[in-house]
Order: sequence, then C-alpha cells, then structure tokens
Amino acid sequence: MMADAAILAAFKWHCMVLGAVLFGLGLIGFVARRNLIVMFLSTEVMLQGVLVNLLGFNSVYPTLNGQSFALFILVVAAVEAAVGLGLIVFLYRLRRSLDSEAWRSMSG
Amino acid sequence: MTSFLGYLLFYLVPVIGGIAVYLAMPGRRRVSRIAPVLLGTAAIGAMIGVVTKHLGHSQVVFYVLAILSVIGAARVVTHRKPVYSAVYFILLVLSVAGIAILAGAEYLAAALVIIYAGAILVTYVFVIMLAQQSMPPEYDTQAREPLFSVLAGFVLIAALASQMVTTHGALAEAQAAAGTAKPAAAAGAAVKSWSNTLTLGTELMTTYTVAFEAAGVLLLVGIIGGIALATRRLTASSDQTSGGAA
Repeated sequence: MMADAAILAAFKWHCMVLGAVLFGLGLIGFVARRNLIVMFLSTEVMLQGVLVNLLGFNSVYPTLNGQSFALFILVVAAVEAAVGLGLIVFLYRLRRSLDSEAWRSMSG
Repeated sequence: MTSFLGYLLFYLVPVIGGIAVYLAMPGRRRVSRIAPVLLGTAAIGAMIGVVTKHLGHSQVVFYVLAILSVIGAARVVTHRKPVYSAVYFILLVLSVAGIAILAGAEYLAAALVIIYAGAILVTYVFVIMLAQQSMPPEYDTQAREPLFSVLAGFVLIAALASQMVTTHGALAEAQAAAGTAKPAAAAGAAVKSWSNTLTLGTELMTTYTVAFEAAGVLLLVGIIGGIALATRRLTASSDQTSGGAA
C-alpha cells in the first residue's frame, strides 16, 4: 500500500502532528468542561490522539509493537469507561448533579 | 527571512485554532455561531497547508480523515449537549479507524469500531440519558476557565507540532545529504503472506503473553468494580454526608 520510504516517513510525521492536535483538544476539554461525562469523553479523545501516534510509528517499523500497544490501550479504555461511568452514576445519585464543582468540598 | 515568515505562519495556526475553540466554548456571549466555524475551518486549512509545505507530500484520504477527526474532537470538547459530544466522538473514532486502515492495521480498525463506537459509546449514551434533565444545566452551558485551558492546550499543540516538523526537516536534509533514504519496511512486510490479524495475534500470543493475561485480569477487575459500584445502595450515612456537605 505504501512501499515508498519517503511516503511512509511523511505518513508517520502527519500522524504525529494529528495525534498532538487530538491530545491537545482532549486536554482542553478535560480542563474546561464541568460535566463529568464530557470530562471522561475528553480523556477518550486524548487516548485517540495517543493511538494515532502509535499507528504512525508502527507504520514505519517492521514490527507490530505499536499495534499491540494500541490494543492494550483499547482494553484500558474499556475498563476505564466501565469503572468511571459506574462511579459517575454513583456520584450522580448522591448529588443529583453531574457538575464536577459539586465535589469541591475537599478543596477547602 | 522566508523561513522566519514560515515559522510565524506556523505559530499563527495554533493561535487561530485556539481563538476558534475559545469562541465555540459554551458560556461565552456568542458573537455569532458562524465565526468559530469559519475560524476553525481557516485554522485546519492553514494547518494542512503548512504541514504539506513542510513535509512535501499530500495524500487526500489521510487529509480528509484528519480533518474529520479534528472536527469531531473539537465538537466533543465544545458542544453544549453531552449526547452530541458522544455522537461527535463516534465521528472521531470512525476517522481514526480509517487512519488505522491507511496504516495497515485492519484488525485495530475493526476493534476500534466494534469496541469504541459499539460498546463504550453505548455505555456513555446510556449514562448521559440516565442523567438527562429537562433544562440544560448550568454546568453544561458554562465552561470553567475556557481562556486558560485553551491557551495551555494550544501552546502544547504548537510546541509538539513545531518540534516534530523541525525534527522531520532536519532528518530529511540529513538523509538527502547522505544520499541514502532509511529503508523502512511496511508493517508486516517481513511476513508478507500473513494477514495483519494473523501477525498481530501471533505477536500477542508470543511476545506479549504476560501483558495479554494481565489485560484479561484487568478486564475482570473492571467488571467486578463496575458491578460493585452499580449495585451499591445509598445508605443513610452517605445521604447524611451529601446533605452535610451540600
């Protein structure tokens, strides 16, 4: 599909830039949004950025380390979604609100 | 001088993008709905122009997918309604799956669509609907410190991207000077007759056996944790703590 070394290298760098952009957008969302669910979605956006980065690197080297690591990221994301959403539902039942500001009592 | 102008343009792109995301954040007095869209389009277009200029190569499919994924990510972060955020996240996942196919990772693309768009997003949508309220609540319409978060995020993007592009330029020049481009084999080229799925499965079962088992244990722990959290009853003591703190 992409045999030429120069094209592959360009693909890698494009993927790295795209991964950086996705990671930055997810970071912004995590910091700026107050809805707990949207904050969680933003972490998933960051994970997608990391995934794109791994794919870009993987396409250059003959091994499959990048793809294997991306699969493990997928597993961790699934577990994170299960446990995190369980926690969010629990918190919502306590306060009747998804606002992260509702849980700032520990900040004093 | 031209390179200076080029770098100025390069750093202008994250600035425009940052302004677009800032204007699109909920809670600001919206000047218009079109302004962030136009600015965002300009930023994405300029980013592609700059990157193509610096990297030299253009590949239409990748760019379409990259644009779609960036739009999806920006809308996940800025949309006022969490359900729409989830839907735009599906757009992001689908375009990343397309990029995975371009990178020769067919199995990963399928897993992305099935696990992310299929399973994880359904869970998200269910939780969003459980917590649905008739009026859009204040915490969805009002962002927390949008200016500083956008500043931090886009400074990070600019720093990372500029580093990548300059490193790539230096590498390309070095290779051109040496006259030998580094031979880079495509993924799975060493075992050309094997499909990507077969190679990946063999890799998982030989090199990453321990990590594979650990991932299974992690999934089990996640299931147990999810069930324990979901079946937990609200006791009188937890009601008291919530009443006392609120």
